[in-house]
Amino acid sequence: MVTDTAEGAGTGRGSRADGPAAETEDARGSIADTAAQRAAKRRLAAFLTYGGLVVAAVAASFPFVWMLFTSFMTRGETLRYVVVPASVEWRNYVRAWSEANFALYFSNSLLIAAVQVGGTLLFSLMAAYPLARMQFRGRETIFLIILATLMVPETATMVPNFLTVAWLHSHSPIPWLNSWPALTVPFMASAFSIFLLRQFMRGLPGELWDAARLDGAGHVRFLFQIALPLCRAPLLTVGMFTFIGSWNALGWPLLVTSTQTWRPISVALLRFVEEAGAETQLQMAGAVIATLPVLLLYALIQKEFTAGISVSGMKG
Amino acid sequence: MNTSLKDRVTAWAFMAPALLVLGVFGLFPIGYAFFVSLHHWRVKRGPFVGFEHYHRALGDPLYIALFVLSLGLFCAVRYWVKGKSLWLRVTRIGLEVTTLFAAGAGLLGVIGSGDSRLFDAFKVTAFYAVCAIPAEVAISMILAYLLFKALSGKGFFRVLFFLPYVTPMIATAVAFRIIFSPHPSSLANQIGGVFGLGSQGWLFESRSVVSLVLQAFDITQYPAWIDAAFPSMALVSVVLYNIWVYVGYDTVILLAGFSAIPPHYYEAAAIDGATAAQSFRHITLPLISPALFFISLIAVIGTFKAFNHIYIMRTPGARDSVDVVSVAIFDQIYLFHNLAYAAALSLILFAVILGLTFVQNRVLGRKVFYGD
Repeated sequence: MVTDTAEGAGTGRGSRADGPAAETEDARGSIADTAAQRAAKRRLAAFLTYGGLVVAAVAASFPFVWMLFTSFMTRGETLRYVVVPASVEWRNYVRAWSEANFALYFSNSLLIAAVQVGGTLLFSLMAAYPLARMQFRGRETIFLIILATLMVPETATMVPNFLTVAWLHSHSPIPWLNSWPALTVPFMASAFSIFLLRQFMRGLPGELWDAARLDGAGHVRFLFQIALPLCRAPLLTVGMFTFIGSWNALGWPLLVTSTQTWRPISVALLRFVEEAGAETQLQMAGAVIATLPVLLLYALIQKEFTAGISVSGMKG
Repeated sequence: MNTSLKDRVTAWAFMAPALLVLGVFGLFPIGYAFFVSLHHWRVKRGPFVGFEHYHRALGDPLYIALFVLSLGLFCAVRYWVKGKSLWLRVTRIGLEVTTLFAAGAGLLGVIGSGDSRLFDAFKVTAFYAVCAIPAEVAISMILAYLLFKALSGKGFFRVLFFLPYVTPMIATAVAFRIIFSPHPSSLANQIGGVFGLGSQGWLFESRSVVSLVLQAFDITQYPAWIDAAFPSMALVSVVLYNIWVYVGYDTVILLAGFSAIPPHYYEAAAIDGATAAQSFRHITLPLISPALFFISLIAVIGTFKAFNHIYIMRTPGARDSVDVVSVAIFDQIYLFHNLAYAAALSLILFAVILGLTFVQNRVLGRKVFYGD
């Protein structure tokens, strides 16, 4: 299948150039047959290519459609062989939002993500700048040490970080456990973000800095007034990754939140699913609510994000 | 370097917040985890117990020594015994086989005398990796190729394929938990019914897929090891979910790889009369190999890090047949409050990941073509 399409589509790529050529062949008459054959082959290849892509697209999107349909069903419909609900039950969303307290968990998760994204962007940008544009002793060593933290799996840091956070909880003026610091501060600097921003900043032309210097700007002003706006694309990529990571976090929030006050939506969804006899349509309404902010963000910055991934090959 | 003091201070001040966070929550934990693992530690620090937790996890130290020493010897033989004479080559192969055999024996001993729950978790992780990664890479290879060849609609398909990857896994895992439920009207059972699969337990089924096949052929008397030697139906369901999530990501990476191949290579090959299969084998495959290597490396590390979706999709019916190592470690923390043992296990996992990355780099990395 692959080889078939390869050949067909390979010729198909230059189809515009082929057009007149095919006509002249027709005029000659003798090889008109092969031209027709080639056209048929090209059509078959296009058919196979798009057939495969459409099948994959349906497989990729159908679970979302199913999620959405199920979230609009009545309880009875979820138990029967129904795929499309008879009527749209908006009440499911109202119930999930108010009765199951998703309003609270949703805003918790948004706040946590906002703090974490803001912190990560600021800290990573500040750390990436000297690593990319300043000369000082130990720069390469520090960069290597930062990259080394990428090797450490989250499971390995969980126990010690929990103990550290518990210690900070009892020794600092603000509470850490069951509150936003425990949920955000440990993730406020990531080697990935620093790496990506550093690589990007190295590509900025040196004349910018010389010009800024002549105008009397120091490093702080240069970073925040000149470099920052230029780093829009990598900042969006880093921000999106941080947002997804924060939104998805499950193990760590389970450890550091025991009350509802700061419980994120991930933990709430897990509890919601584990509950005996929970209603499917409400679970799906909760799941749909949980996907919305990320999908909205993705829709907004889709271009920069996909490009950023192809270039950096990051995985959240 | 002739940097002014002020500049140096500025540089370090800029990096200070990130370095503080990374140091305290990224590097310091490794040492701290080791310290914790040497004590009894539930809620508070208990007495020092040395390597007791490692002993409990890995069993007889003799087997550990056998495993580590023979692996070391194997590496030593590979690097230092060089030469083309027949005698040297025979010795070399003999030594390699012997040391590998001894390492295998040591590993079997460790598995036999160590914590069976840990090694079950490693087994599940291995099943997970072996089932998911080849399928994931193969499908995304085909899709990336089709996308590459498609004339229009590229962006549309790419966005669509990428959706499962960007959508929060906590939400989609919840949906798949219901899709793969044992109820006859569940989506998986409805789709399976089209292919004549009959009603399955999916995520709630702890028996292996092989024994289910045997059962379908009315063979009810099968040896018990069949359930232990093959992945459970529940794990296969998790694997299907995993493929659904990551195929889009892999496709985007591979598509970037395909697009980076200069088109004149193909034109030259076509002029020389190469068939499509030949140019795929001799142009596309070598030039795409860095991207392939990259996604397989990421996928292997990913299966060892996998936690969220498995934690959500595990059911009482599946018993522990989907519990990968990271889930087993989390249970030690969250359910059993055994922080010290969890710390020891997490360091063992860390060592295994490092070892695997190293091996993958040496074995696969060599076949990768980075151009000249």
